[in-house]
Amino acid sequence: MILSRLAARPLLLALGLVAVLALPWLVYPPVAMDIVCWALFAIAVDLLLGFTGLLSFGHAAFWGSSAYVSGLIALHSGLPFPLAVLGGAAFAAVLAVPIGLLSVRLNGIYFAMVTLAFAQMVYFVVNQWRDLTGGENGLQGVPRELFGMDLSDPFIFYYVGLPLILLGMLVAWRIVRSPFGRVLVSIRDNPARAQALGYPVERYKLLAFVLSAALSGLAGGVFAISHGFASLHDVYWTTSGQAVMMVVLGGIGTLWGGTIGAALIVLLNDYLATAGFQEIGIVTGSIFVIIVLVFRRGVWGTARDLVQARVAARRRTTTRLRTAEE
Amino acid sequence: MKALGSVAAMTAAAILAAGCGGGPAGGGGKISDGKVVLAVLNDQSAIYADLSGKGSVEAVKMAVADYKAKYGDKAVAKTVEVLSADHQNKPDIANSKAQELYDRQRADIILDVPSSAAALAVANQAKTKKKLFMDIGAATTELEGAQCNKYTFHYGYNTYMLAYGTGDTVTKDGAKNWYIVYPDYAFGQDMQKSFTAAVKGAGGTIVKADPTPYPNDNFSTFLLKAPTLNPKPQVIGAMQAGGDLVNLVKQYNEYKLRDKGIGLAVGLMFITDIHSLGPDALAGTKFTEPWYWNADQQNRAWADKFQAKTGKRPSFAHAANYSAATQYLEAVQRGGTDGSDDVVKQLEGHKFQDVFARNASIRAEDHLLLHDVSLAQVKPSSEVKEPWDYEKILSTIPADKAFQPASPACKL
Repeated sequence: MILSRLAARPLLLALGLVAVLALPWLVYPPVAMDIVCWALFAIAVDLLLGFTGLLSFGHAAFWGSSAYVSGLIALHSGLPFPLAVLGGAAFAAVLAVPIGLLSVRLNGIYFAMVTLAFAQMVYFVVNQWRDLTGGENGLQGVPRELFGMDLSDPFIFYYVGLPLILLGMLVAWRIVRSPFGRVLVSIRDNPARAQALGYPVERYKLLAFVLSAALSGLAGGVFAISHGFASLHDVYWTTSGQAVMMVVLGGIGTLWGGTIGAALIVLLNDYLATAGFQEIGIVTGSIFVIIVLVFRRGVWGTARDLVQARVAARRRTTTRLRTAEE
Repeated sequence: MKALGSVAAMTAAAILAAGCGGGPAGGGGKISDGKVVLAVLNDQSAIYADLSGKGSVEAVKMAVADYKAKYGDKAVAKTVEVLSADHQNKPDIANSKAQELYDRQRADIILDVPSSAAALAVANQAKTKKKLFMDIGAATTELEGAQCNKYTFHYGYNTYMLAYGTGDTVTKDGAKNWYIVYPDYAFGQDMQKSFTAAVKGAGGTIVKADPTPYPNDNFSTFLLKAPTLNPKPQVIGAMQAGGDLVNLVKQYNEYKLRDKGIGLAVGLMFITDIHSLGPDALAGTKFTEPWYWNADQQNRAWADKFQAKTGKRPSFAHAANYSAATQYLEAVQRGGTDGSDDVVKQLEGHKFQDVFARNASIRAEDHLLLHDVSLAQVKPSSEVKEPWDYEKILSTIPADKAFQPASPACKL
């Protein structure tokens, strides 16, 4: 029993790694890249939504601004693309400081609205600054430079870009399991009590906000390099909404649920593009409604609850048997 | 977790993958894979669905049927396949789908692709994969400017044509003083620049040009200002598009500016806009139309065939898709192969006439299609005799005037 519980975690981890590595064999490689980028983005949003209790509706600002900054660095400096992406992520983190300072004092819907407002400002700046960003034409022709390697094959690029995404996921996982992460959860559950225990609540929230923005930026940067362009769509509010949707579908506060949500939505979008339905909105809308009704805690959350319930039930039976024997 | 993901992934892969392997097919062979594959990649569910969407897929199928009927046994392309994909007006989906169409579905050419970011992304894919791309839906002149490439063609219209046709013709018809309102982003700024040049070139004056917020639903400040300007403008040039245009026109009518002697000319308007708003809301408005279904007998005959298939009258985009597919197949026929480089050679500098493109030629320097376009005016509902009969053609703008000279920024 104990052995199997100990083995469960590495087993899951191994399964996850195999799935990630096998992904471009199963789906078209650029789509596979989209899935892992969105998965990291969703994890970053869940860090804030599920573990700190802050629903940000403006994370497109970080995903998108990093997409543009990574694109600009790659386009104008000729640096290897991982450096460009890290530059984009750093920019997103820096951008998150003033936005976070002004918004983490708020809670619930107010926090969501203020972050949305800031994201719209970023959208406005990107749209207007056309000499730099290309306006609605987008920033086109972003190269994939890495020591002169030929990365034009999306299959190869997937494996070259993947470490950056896995790095981001590892960071998110470490954050959640660190003492810092525990404090975040306590702030989510009872901010007044955390404050009373001596934790500077707002500073913790700000740090969580900045970290989440940096991870979103990492994902957005890889996304831009993978597609070879950054467009206004990356900073538009629907992008923020899509990330939140992925978290909800996967399961809020599960961290890995976001990967399921991302896979579902990206594959659905990709499939519907050639499925020949005229009303894609109605199709996706009804699928979301069904998933949310059937999986109350998201796909990952509900699956986890089911497994835990079964384990608990078995443990109860074994204890009962043992007491009976005695 | 990922086990579940991969189950979903496998299902999707099974649905999607229509074959494996890649590698561009250059010149040389006759017909690659034994068939010619045309793919229409456009917006079938968001804002451009009516203008182009599924109707364009149908138009391309009509072009294929006509090609087969015309050449019969002599057709070089014995098997022609038409694919379609919906990019939902999202540039990243357009980009992934374009790669997939070229690589896996073996598309020889991609057609349509509205909205500029998506179009430029697909143009870059065409360049990398060395396969053809004919853009119809996007208006940006970047496609034949700094971001042009050997395999990309721009077919039908662009911002210069829209602005120039209206600005030049309306000024020459006597409206010398203009007040321009334009939405303050790339499209609007480009339109304003081309429009100003056209008006000045025709001897007119821009009394004032005001940027408006984008998007915007209240244009009263700008509209009320118009009669107070000195000299009083004879016409307002509105560069707005879509929902903004609808609001602007409604408010223009509410303030009864036409009765005050101020006309309205519009940079970008499609027949689908008139259809959804009703002709009375826009009556009297002048704009440049790349193609109108009821302009002459030839157009009308084609529009009848289109209506029989789709139940509605074609927009310019439908006719342009038909024409682009036809010209592509004709180029394959002339060259005897669907090898990209050979087809490009056949298309460059080609002069032709068809139902969409009159006095047409494909300019070799930048791959822009030049053709005659028209200045049109929206009819009031009292003059509308049948459904979709919304436009009066005022004059023809000849092909050599309608489009900009080739940009030195374009290096194919």
